[in-house]
Amino acid sequence: MAKKSKARAQTLSPRQQSPQKPLTPRRWRLKLVIGGAVLAVALGVGGLVRFLQQRDLAPHLQGTGDKHYTQGTAGAAVVIKEFSDYT
Amino acid sequence: MQRFEGQVQLVLYPFALNPTSEVATQAAWCAGEQGKFWEFHHMLYRRQELWNRLAAPLERLSDFAKDLNIDAAALKSCVESGRMQDRMQADKAYGQQLQVSSTPTIFINDYRIVGTQSEGELVRLIRQELNHARPQGQ
Repeated sequence: MAKKSKARAQTLSPRQQSPQKPLTPRRWRLKLVIGGAVLAVALGVGGLVRFLQQRDLAPHLQGTGDKHYTQGTAGAAVVIKEFSDYT
Repeated sequence: MQRFEGQVQLVLYPFALNPTSEVATQAAWCAGEQGKFWEFHHMLYRRQELWNRLAAPLERLSDFAKDLNIDAAALKSCVESGRMQDRMQADKAYGQQLQVSSTPTIFINDYRIVGTQSEGELVRLIRQELNHARPQGQ
């Protein structure tokens, strides 16, 4: 019987014999590539969100300024609207 | 502003975030009725620490007004009348429409900037907008 079980053990695949085997360099490289891709996507999404927050395309932004205190030239190419709190 | 004379206009929207600031905003506009808006505006920032923690700052602000040769009694009466309330609420509504939720928020044309920026950064963004605007104007 002992002889038979020894023979059976020999038929197991190398993977089954050592489940705790350390990752090969190739698998590490794959993990690094995937991790890098995930990081790049996250940074890209973050950058896009920031850009969209900064860039306001609301058409109603233009054409106000009546009854407000201004400095500089009326009808200038660049209009700065400052919302500030005194406290 | 002087650096970009003739090319840039600044429009100020006092955006009061608390009752103390609401009083200051109205006081600034009331000072404006006496032709001293900008002087009062700058004074509010210069002496900010002397009034911004007061629950009822009008008395203190009226005292400051005297230093600018503003009729303090008229200023006080103007604020107390509440006739600047609508104007303040209108600016608040406009800010909310533009999704302004914190100050300072600045729009350089359509470009939104939230939070304090260095002068260098503001100059860079103004130049950038001027460069965008120039080809359209030609």
